[in-house]
Amino acid sequence: MPSAPLLLSQAFNGLALGTLLALVASGLTIILGTLGVLNFAHGALFMLGAYAMYVVTAQTGSFFLGILVGAAFMLVVGVVLERGLIRLFYGRPHEDQILVTFGAGIVIVEGVRALFGANTQSVPTPSWGQGIVQLGFLFYPTYRLELIGIVAALLFVLYLILYRTSIGLVVRAGIEDARMVGILGINVRRSFLLVFALGVVAAGVSGMLYAPIVSVEPDMGSSFLVEAFVVIVIGGLGSYPGAVVGGLIAGEIISITSAFNSAYSEVMLYAVMALLLVLRPQGLFGSEGRV
Amino acid sequence: MAARVRGTLWPELAVVAVLLVAPFVLLPLGFSYDLLQRILDWGLIGLGFDLLFGATGLLSFGQAAFYGTGGFVAAYLLVGHVIANVWLALVLGTIAAGLVGLVVGWLAVRRIGIYFTMITLAFGEMAYFLENSPLSHYTGGENGLPGVPVPSLGGMPISAGLPMYWLLAVLFFAGFVLARRILHSPFGAVLRAIKGNTTRTGMTGHSVPAYKLAVFVIAALYAGLAGGLLGVLQSYMPPDAFALDTSGQLVVQTVIGGVGTLVGPLVGATLWLWLRDNLQQVPHVGALWKLILGLIFVLLVVVLKRGIAGEIRWAFTRRRLAAAEAGVPEETGDAAVMPPTAPALPLSAPLVVARTDAPALRAIGVSKFYGGLHAVENVSFEVRTGSIHAVIGPNGAGKSTLFKMLKDEIAPTAGEVLLFGRRITGLGPTRTAQLGIGKSNQLNQLFLDLTVTENLRIAALARARGTFRADLWRAADSLPAVERQVAAAMETVGLIHRADVPVHVLPYGEKRRLEIGIALATGPNVLLLDEPLAGMSPAERVATRALVREIGRTRTLLIVEHDMDAIFELAERITVLYEGRLLADGTPDEIQGNQAVQDAYLGGLHEHEPA
Amino acid sequence: MSTSLLEVEAINSFYGDSHILFDVSLTVGRNEVVALLGRNGAGKTTTLRTIMGVLAPRSGAIRLDGKPIGGLAPFQIARRGLQLVPEERAIFGQLTVEENLRLAALTAPNAWSLDRVYEFFPRLRERRRSGGRQLSGGEQQMLAIARALIRDAQVILLDEPFEGLAPLIVRDLVRVSRELAAQGRTILVVEQNVVAALSFADRVYVLNNGHMVWEGRPAELRADPALMKAHLGI
Repeated sequence: MPSAPLLLSQAFNGLALGTLLALVASGLTIILGTLGVLNFAHGALFMLGAYAMYVVTAQTGSFFLGILVGAAFMLVVGVVLERGLIRLFYGRPHEDQILVTFGAGIVIVEGVRALFGANTQSVPTPSWGQGIVQLGFLFYPTYRLELIGIVAALLFVLYLILYRTSIGLVVRAGIEDARMVGILGINVRRSFLLVFALGVVAAGVSGMLYAPIVSVEPDMGSSFLVEAFVVIVIGGLGSYPGAVVGGLIAGEIISITSAFNSAYSEVMLYAVMALLLVLRPQGLFGSEGRV
Repeated sequence: MAARVRGTLWPELAVVAVLLVAPFVLLPLGFSYDLLQRILDWGLIGLGFDLLFGATGLLSFGQAAFYGTGGFVAAYLLVGHVIANVWLALVLGTIAAGLVGLVVGWLAVRRIGIYFTMITLAFGEMAYFLENSPLSHYTGGENGLPGVPVPSLGGMPISAGLPMYWLLAVLFFAGFVLARRILHSPFGAVLRAIKGNTTRTGMTGHSVPAYKLAVFVIAALYAGLAGGLLGVLQSYMPPDAFALDTSGQLVVQTVIGGVGTLVGPLVGATLWLWLRDNLQQVPHVGALWKLILGLIFVLLVVVLKRGIAGEIRWAFTRRRLAAAEAGVPEETGDAAVMPPTAPALPLSAPLVVARTDAPALRAIGVSKFYGGLHAVENVSFEVRTGSIHAVIGPNGAGKSTLFKMLKDEIAPTAGEVLLFGRRITGLGPTRTAQLGIGKSNQLNQLFLDLTVTENLRIAALARARGTFRADLWRAADSLPAVERQVAAAMETVGLIHRADVPVHVLPYGEKRRLEIGIALATGPNVLLLDEPLAGMSPAERVATRALVREIGRTRTLLIVEHDMDAIFELAERITVLYEGRLLADGTPDEIQGNQAVQDAYLGGLHEHEPA
Repeated sequence: MSTSLLEVEAINSFYGDSHILFDVSLTVGRNEVVALLGRNGAGKTTTLRTIMGVLAPRSGAIRLDGKPIGGLAPFQIARRGLQLVPEERAIFGQLTVEENLRLAALTAPNAWSLDRVYEFFPRLRERRRSGGRQLSGGEQQMLAIARALIRDAQVILLDEPFEGLAPLIVRDLVRVSRELAAQGRTILVVEQNVVAALSFADRVYVLNNGHMVWEGRPAELRADPALMKAHLGI
């Protein structure tokens, strides 16, 4: 049995990982819910965000500027992807949509590899995130602690966008019945563009925030992609609350399990997913609706 | 016709020829033996994957799990000196992969589309992590298992280079022959039907989950054998066999090479591996080989969906298809209306012996509530054996819901349905089809990419073979009773002149008749027709009414239809539903004279005060 | 004849390759209430869906206030003041009543206030915080119509507004429909409940198997039982 401080520390790690997974997965899930497209390029976009952060901090040294410029860049990427590629696939079978986003992901990853090489890059921890904080009997890296707060704040912003703005109203309605939204005078295709771009920005910003605590390399997104899939299967496809709760659950499963035996941390995540698929296939917050 | 289904032997001959000359032609082009062996290894997993994705439409992103399982089980048995016989190790590895496929498939095939893909992907990752940490004692973790021995034949070890190439070539060819037999077997016909229209496949009486699981396991077996061979051919079992990239590479190679062609993955692997090995030598573009492949892949998915092998096959088959499609009118004109011929139907005898004293179908107090909405409430009626019986009612009366409960497509909230006195409620549409309830749908549910003959064969195979049978080796058209039934159904619905035409080019009226034909070809004792005249022109209506009357001479018919002229001409008894409840039940004359029915149709059952 | 606000001229509509409407024509004058009657499967819903742009006609013309709208997307047609209230009501179950209304009002230039809508349907004010999924059938239908009202739609297409509703609620909805007509709104209503539809329509069309077979006044139809029986009854 692991010691209480270790468990507590792992619970914190789980919170950090979980909030981040929630942010990545919420982008994935609103795109899936609204557009009906499972975005296999999401991991590559996460990686692209981290590289955007790397480039801007290397040039300017400003983390804050990195977030700002990076988010704008991701917005452009999202718009270009949707306009240039994704919208050709709204009427096509799921399999084709998966293949095309998977292909887009390969192109993004390999494009980055061609530009920056396969070596790992590092992004410095911002000045306000240096050092270690003492929490009672637990020492915890400052940036990781701040990360929990920042991501939680971003999730709250996303919540406000989805539940307190007109755009969010359109998105939530579109998840249920995109056709009726059009009948009520709203250009659904344009809101599809917004949703896709929003999801891409969410993935990218996650990558930017994560960049200082991992090594930045072209393949860093693929494991996040799969974990985000598991998160939305747990939470229910297309459900924002599901993505948040699912993300936290997934983060804690991975972290707490590794306190007992790190070899099983990922395995446990998939085992829980398998169990859920048998007992509650629609996920925690999902309804038997589309998809 | 028999020769067509089995197909020619040209593909086999072509594959043999390519395998024979490849070492001599490709080596000067920059291919090494090692590369050729790897290509064949990818081609071998690809055969199973193409049966799964190309034939059945199930996109798996988790094939690496089975590839790795087959490879590591075989490698561990040999390297760990558990057994010494390499052949036996390969067989055991393959079986292990099949067993893992059985477990993963059991969970995955219950879900469709996006769910299926995500689940296979997740289990692929789970296998990767299992290999990497908890099982690293056996698998070597990140180091893999070096020192895998080569097999020997007649005391002679099959060494690297040409001998190993021949081993892989022979195994690939055997795998190809088997895959082609599977594709053209009754089993394969059902797989293609599942891809074309999963719902209808189940409705005709095939157990869709069983077939999906079977093909999933077959794909896992192919992957397992290929995984075992990977360790053998390079004397080393690498951990990245389990990696997500392996599954992804397989998908990309298959799409580039051509989905549904069996050799597509082989062709795609040739391009992928050749580009990788040769572009890397070129300065400046060396690192770009995967980017170039990615762009080709996206381009293929967006515009040229057939892939390389698919385009080649298309070049050969285009003319034959065009010939078959010639003569099919674009629009339904009266010229396209073929009055059905009227010989006694030689359709198979009903499989369930009808007790003439029992009603063919009996609903007892069936209800269906959706939340507070009472779609159908406590409806009881009987359909007499051998009669034509109609169900009518205004919109929202619950006809469709009732129909679905009669075939057990949806479960009633209360009540039960009896077929010849036997309770069928709770059995599901596949079992009720096997018991003799056929159904044609309001909206056509056809297998659009298959020919008329193939469409009818799917239906006829169902009751001849039961819900599931793994008859992988026989030809789909080698069951005489099934072929007789196909021919009879085709003649009845007047589509003999379209036998070899792909269904998607048929005019609407003919599609509509095929919709009925499929239901008929299952050899039903009771046939449910949901709006058989929907969307038809007046001339087609006349012909289809005659068809329905003809079918009604040999079996029990239950019809939902809005065309009142047709109903009153055809039906011997009519059941009227109104707002989910039974309003009346009687002969056409009784119904026509029933004031309550008239009021229901005109909305006058409720009083509305005049203005 | 008054200027017709909505003109449908010889449209042919298909579902896939299934031919549903054959050269269907109709006009609806300004401030007129027109009922489109016919049996199940006659093509009534298809006609409304074609006018709304959900389904593109393969041939024929549709004009709103003299300007062609055939081939436009539903959202463009909605912005020109035409609004379909679909048969299945299509309430957003995850959104509250008020959110359903606010969503509908988003792109309407002369959107009503919520209060004005609630005056028409006081019941909706009581239920404004309820999720769409919790509404009864009658409340859902009120909300469906209210979404058209808050957009200040000039032409409202009502598809089977009374289907599956209790007589009392049907009476209530008939009253609202009459009020709307009296206020100068233009309504095209599809209904199987012939008695209810005739009680507030100015003019009637009858569809049978995708063909327009009759046009006239409600009184003429009521006075002709043979006609009723041939195309509407059994």
